[in-house]
Amino acid sequence: MAEPSTAGRQFNAEALPHLDALYRTALRLTGDPSQAEDLVQDTMLKAYRAWRQYQPGTNAKGWLLTILRNTFINDYRRRKLEPIATDLELVEPHALYRAIEDVDPEGAFFAKIVDEKVLEAIDALPPDFREVLVLSDMEGMSYGEIAEALEIPVGTVKSRLFRARRLLQSSLYAYAVETGIIPPRENHDG
Amino acid sequence: MGEPINCREAAERLQDFLKQELTPELEAEMQAHLERCRPCFDEARFEANFVLMLEVRARRVECPAALRARIARLLQSEMERG
Repeated sequence: MAEPSTAGRQFNAEALPHLDALYRTALRLTGDPSQAEDLVQDTMLKAYRAWRQYQPGTNAKGWLLTILRNTFINDYRRRKLEPIATDLELVEPHALYRAIEDVDPEGAFFAKIVDEKVLEAIDALPPDFREVLVLSDMEGMSYGEIAEALEIPVGTVKSRLFRARRLLQSSLYAYAVETGIIPPRENHDG
Repeated sequence: MGEPINCREAAERLQDFLKQELTPELEAEMQAHLERCRPCFDEARFEANFVLMLEVRARRVECPAALRARIARLLQSEMERG
Protein backbone atom coordinates (compact mmCIF):
# COMPACT_ATOMS: atom_id res chain seq x y z
CA MET A 1 0.00 0.00 0.00
CA ALA A 2 1.41 3.40 -0.95
CA GLU A 3 2.01 5.98 1.78
CA PRO A 4 -0.58 8.77 1.74
CA SER A 5 0.68 12.18 0.67
CA THR A 6 1.02 15.02 3.16
CA ALA A 7 -2.43 16.30 2.17
CA GLY A 8 -3.82 12.81 2.58
CA ARG A 9 -2.29 12.40 6.00
CA GLN A 10 -3.60 15.80 7.05
CA PHE A 11 -7.05 14.92 5.85
CA ASN A 12 -7.01 11.62 7.72
CA ALA A 13 -5.82 13.31 10.89
CA GLU A 14 -8.43 16.08 10.75
CA ALA A 15 -11.44 14.26 9.36
CA LEU A 16 -11.37 10.67 10.58
CA PRO A 17 -11.82 11.54 14.27
CA HIS A 18 -15.25 12.93 13.36
CA LEU A 19 -16.65 9.76 11.80
CA ASP A 20 -18.74 8.99 14.88
CA ALA A 21 -20.31 12.45 14.79
CA LEU A 22 -20.93 12.19 11.05
CA TYR A 23 -22.51 8.77 11.34
CA ARG A 24 -24.72 9.78 14.27
CA THR A 25 -25.94 12.85 12.44
CA ALA A 26 -26.47 10.91 9.21
CA LEU A 27 -28.52 8.36 11.12
CA ARG A 28 -30.75 11.03 12.60
CA LEU A 29 -31.16 12.85 9.27
CA THR A 30 -31.92 9.80 7.13
CA GLY A 31 -33.55 7.61 9.78
CA ASP A 32 -32.04 4.59 8.06
CA PRO A 33 -28.71 2.85 8.84
CA SER A 34 -27.84 1.87 5.29
CA GLN A 35 -28.64 5.31 3.91
CA ALA A 36 -26.66 6.80 6.77
CA GLU A 37 -23.63 4.73 5.79
CA ASP A 38 -23.87 5.86 2.16
CA LEU A 39 -24.29 9.45 3.26
CA VAL A 40 -21.19 9.35 5.47
CA GLN A 41 -19.16 7.73 2.70
CA ASP A 42 -20.28 10.32 0.12
CA THR A 43 -19.54 13.09 2.61
CA MET A 44 -16.00 11.86 3.24
CA LEU A 45 -15.23 11.60 -0.47
CA LYS A 46 -16.61 15.07 -1.16
CA ALA A 47 -14.72 16.44 1.80
CA TYR A 48 -11.48 14.92 0.61
CA ARG A 49 -11.96 16.37 -2.87
CA ALA A 50 -12.74 19.78 -1.38
CA TRP A 51 -9.89 19.56 1.10
CA ARG A 52 -7.93 22.35 -0.54
CA GLN A 53 -10.74 24.80 0.15
CA TYR A 54 -10.70 23.95 3.79
CA GLN A 55 -8.66 26.20 6.02
CA PRO A 56 -6.70 24.07 8.47
CA GLY A 57 -7.25 25.17 12.02
CA THR A 58 -10.89 26.06 11.48
CA ASN A 59 -13.61 23.84 12.86
CA ALA A 60 -13.23 20.56 10.96
CA LYS A 61 -16.27 18.99 12.57
CA GLY A 62 -18.52 21.90 11.60
CA TRP A 63 -17.12 21.87 8.07
CA LEU A 64 -17.73 18.14 7.67
CA LEU A 65 -21.22 18.32 9.14
CA THR A 66 -22.03 21.14 6.73
CA ILE A 67 -20.97 18.97 3.78
CA LEU A 68 -22.96 16.08 5.20
CA ARG A 69 -26.06 18.17 5.61
CA ASN A 70 -25.79 19.68 2.11
CA THR A 71 -25.27 16.24 0.60
CA PHE A 72 -28.30 15.02 2.46
CA ILE A 73 -30.44 17.90 1.20
CA ASN A 74 -29.25 17.62 -2.40
CA ASP A 75 -29.02 13.88 -2.88
CA TYR A 76 -31.02 12.16 -0.18
CA ARG A 77 -33.93 14.34 0.71
CA ARG A 78 -36.23 14.24 -2.26
CA ARG A 79 -38.79 16.62 -0.85
CA LYS A 80 -38.37 20.33 -0.46
CA LEU A 81 -38.23 21.80 3.03
CA GLU A 82 -41.39 20.76 4.74
CA PRO A 83 -43.83 23.67 4.83
CA ILE A 84 -45.29 22.29 8.04
CA ALA A 85 -42.26 23.59 9.91
CA THR A 86 -43.25 27.16 9.14
CA ASP A 87 -46.59 26.60 10.85
CA LEU A 88 -44.94 24.93 13.78
CA GLU A 89 -42.73 27.95 14.27
CA LEU A 90 -45.86 29.77 15.39
CA VAL A 91 -46.80 27.12 17.91
CA GLU A 92 -45.77 27.85 21.46
CA PRO A 93 -45.52 24.42 23.06
CA HIS A 94 -46.01 24.47 26.81
CA ALA A 95 -43.07 24.13 29.16
CA LEU A 96 -42.95 20.63 30.56
CA TYR A 97 -41.04 21.79 33.63
CA ARG A 98 -43.96 23.86 34.88
CA ALA A 99 -46.26 20.88 34.58
CA ILE A 100 -44.11 18.37 36.42
CA GLU A 101 -41.94 20.40 38.78
CA ASP A 102 -43.78 18.95 41.78
CA VAL A 103 -43.35 15.31 40.74
CA ASP A 104 -39.96 15.35 39.04
CA PRO A 105 -38.19 18.68 39.49
CA GLU A 106 -34.86 17.37 38.16
CA GLY A 107 -36.27 15.66 35.10
CA ALA A 108 -35.00 12.31 36.38
CA PHE A 109 -37.52 10.48 34.21
CA PHE A 110 -35.60 11.42 31.04
CA ALA A 111 -32.72 9.21 32.13
CA LYS A 112 -35.04 6.24 32.64
CA ILE A 113 -36.12 6.11 29.01
CA VAL A 114 -34.03 3.70 26.92
CA ASP A 115 -31.76 5.14 24.22
CA GLU A 116 -33.80 3.61 21.43
CA LYS A 117 -36.98 5.42 22.48
CA VAL A 118 -35.21 8.74 22.88
CA LEU A 119 -33.73 8.42 19.40
CA GLU A 120 -37.11 7.41 17.98
CA ALA A 121 -38.68 10.50 19.49
CA ILE A 122 -35.95 12.66 17.96
CA ASP A 123 -36.49 11.02 14.58
CA ALA A 124 -40.19 11.83 14.82
CA LEU A 125 -39.55 15.59 15.10
CA PRO A 126 -40.23 17.70 12.00
CA PRO A 127 -37.01 17.62 9.89
CA ASP A 128 -36.20 21.33 10.21
CA PHE A 129 -36.43 21.12 13.97
CA ARG A 130 -34.68 17.79 14.21
CA GLU A 131 -31.56 18.89 12.36
CA VAL A 132 -31.10 21.93 14.59
CA LEU A 133 -31.56 19.85 17.74
CA VAL A 134 -29.13 17.18 16.53
CA LEU A 135 -26.42 19.67 15.56
CA SER A 136 -26.83 21.68 18.74
CA ASP A 137 -27.58 19.25 21.50
CA MET A 138 -26.09 16.03 20.21
CA GLU A 139 -23.07 17.41 18.36
CA GLY A 140 -22.43 20.55 20.37
CA MET A 141 -22.36 23.05 17.50
CA SER A 142 -22.82 26.73 18.33
CA TYR A 143 -25.69 28.88 17.03
CA GLY A 144 -23.30 30.51 14.57
CA GLU A 145 -21.98 27.22 13.23
CA ILE A 146 -25.49 25.85 12.79
CA ALA A 147 -26.68 29.03 11.08
CA GLU A 148 -23.80 28.77 8.64
CA ALA A 149 -24.32 25.07 7.99
CA LEU A 150 -28.06 25.40 7.40
CA GLU A 151 -27.90 28.84 5.77
CA ILE A 152 -30.54 30.27 8.08
CA PRO A 153 -30.39 33.26 10.44
CA VAL A 154 -29.19 32.75 14.02
CA GLY A 155 -32.63 33.84 15.27
CA THR A 156 -34.21 30.98 13.34
CA VAL A 157 -31.70 28.53 14.81
CA LYS A 158 -32.66 29.70 18.29
CA SER A 159 -36.40 29.49 17.78
CA ARG A 160 -36.20 26.08 16.11
CA LEU A 161 -34.02 24.77 18.92
CA PHE A 162 -36.43 26.13 21.51
CA ARG A 163 -39.41 24.46 19.86
CA ALA A 164 -37.55 21.24 19.06
CA ARG A 165 -36.65 20.83 22.73
CA ARG A 166 -40.18 21.54 23.85
CA LEU A 167 -41.69 19.12 21.35
CA LEU A 168 -39.21 16.43 22.31
CA GLN A 169 -39.82 16.91 26.02
CA SER A 170 -43.56 16.62 25.49
CA SER A 171 -43.26 13.46 23.45
CA LEU A 172 -40.83 11.84 25.92
CA TYR A 173 -43.14 12.79 28.76
CA ALA A 174 -46.13 11.26 26.98
CA TYR A 175 -44.13 8.08 26.44
CA ALA A 176 -43.02 8.01 30.09
CA VAL A 177 -46.60 8.35 31.33
CA GLU A 178 -47.82 5.70 28.90
CA THR A 179 -45.24 3.18 30.06
CA GLY A 180 -45.55 4.00 33.76
CA ILE A 181 -42.05 5.49 34.09
CA ILE A 182 -43.64 8.55 35.60
CA PRO A 183 -47.07 8.76 37.22
CA PRO A 184 -49.69 10.77 35.33
CA ARG A 185 -50.25 14.30 36.53
CA GLU A 186 -52.85 14.57 39.25
CA ASN A 187 -55.58 17.09 39.04
CA HIS A 188 -55.06 19.57 41.80
CA ASP A 189 -58.39 21.31 41.35
CA GLY A 190 -60.04 22.41 44.57
CA MET B 1 -21.96 44.02 36.26
CA GLY B 2 -25.35 45.30 35.09
CA GLU B 3 -28.65 45.72 36.89
CA PRO B 4 -30.18 42.70 38.59
CA ILE B 5 -32.49 40.88 36.20
CA ASN B 6 -35.94 39.54 37.01
CA CYS B 7 -37.41 36.08 36.48
CA ARG B 8 -38.94 36.91 33.12
CA GLU B 9 -35.61 38.14 31.78
CA ALA B 10 -33.91 35.09 33.24
CA ALA B 11 -36.40 32.81 31.48
CA GLU B 12 -35.75 34.60 28.19
CA ARG B 13 -32.01 34.10 28.59
CA LEU B 14 -32.11 30.52 29.81
CA GLN B 15 -31.59 28.82 26.46
CA ASP B 16 -28.65 31.03 25.50
CA PHE B 17 -27.20 30.61 28.97
CA LEU B 18 -27.28 26.82 28.78
CA LYS B 19 -25.79 27.00 25.29
CA GLN B 20 -23.02 29.22 26.72
CA GLU B 21 -23.81 31.83 24.13
CA LEU B 22 -24.35 34.83 26.41
CA THR B 23 -21.84 37.66 26.53
CA PRO B 24 -19.77 37.58 29.74
CA GLU B 25 -21.78 40.46 31.15
CA LEU B 26 -25.19 38.90 30.46
CA GLU B 27 -23.91 35.59 31.74
CA ALA B 28 -22.77 37.15 35.01
CA GLU B 29 -26.21 38.74 35.45
CA MET B 30 -27.83 35.38 34.82
CA GLN B 31 -25.52 33.62 37.29
CA ALA B 32 -26.31 36.23 39.91
CA HIS B 33 -30.03 35.74 39.38
CA LEU B 34 -29.80 31.95 39.58
CA GLU B 35 -27.83 32.19 42.81
CA ARG B 36 -30.60 34.03 44.55
CA CYS B 37 -33.71 32.66 42.83
CA ARG B 38 -34.46 29.04 43.66
CA PRO B 39 -37.37 28.56 41.22
CA CYS B 40 -35.29 29.81 38.28
CA PHE B 41 -32.33 27.74 39.44
CA ASP B 42 -34.51 24.63 39.56
CA GLU B 43 -35.87 25.27 36.10
CA ALA B 44 -32.39 25.83 34.72
CA ARG B 45 -31.26 22.55 36.30
CA PHE B 46 -34.19 20.69 34.73
CA GLU B 47 -33.39 22.05 31.27
CA ALA B 48 -29.66 21.44 31.71
CA ASN B 49 -30.32 17.81 32.71
CA PHE B 50 -32.45 17.37 29.62
CA VAL B 51 -29.76 18.64 27.27
CA LEU B 52 -27.09 16.61 29.05
CA MET B 53 -29.25 13.52 28.61
CA LEU B 54 -29.37 14.14 24.85
CA GLU B 55 -25.62 14.53 24.67
CA VAL B 56 -25.08 11.28 26.56
CA ARG B 57 -27.46 9.39 24.23
CA ALA B 58 -25.70 10.79 21.19
CA ARG B 59 -22.27 9.69 22.39
CA ARG B 60 -23.36 6.07 22.63
CA VAL B 61 -23.91 5.80 18.88
CA GLU B 62 -20.67 5.03 17.05
CA CYS B 63 -19.67 4.69 13.45
CA PRO B 64 -19.72 0.95 12.59
CA ALA B 65 -16.25 -0.56 12.20
CA ALA B 66 -17.08 -1.93 8.74
CA LEU B 67 -18.01 1.55 7.51
CA ARG B 68 -14.87 3.01 9.02
CA ALA B 69 -12.78 0.41 7.16
CA ARG B 70 -14.67 0.94 3.90
CA ILE B 71 -14.08 4.70 4.08
CA ALA B 72 -10.39 4.23 4.87
CA ARG B 73 -10.03 2.01 1.77
CA LEU B 74 -11.92 4.47 -0.42
CA LEU B 75 -9.83 7.38 0.74
CA GLN B 76 -6.67 5.38 0.23
CA SER B 77 -7.51 4.66 -3.40
CA GLU B 78 -8.62 8.27 -3.89
CA MET B 79 -5.29 9.46 -2.51
CA GLU B 80 -3.33 7.10 -4.72
CA ARG B 81 -5.08 8.54 -7.75
CA GLY B 82 -3.75 11.91 -6.60
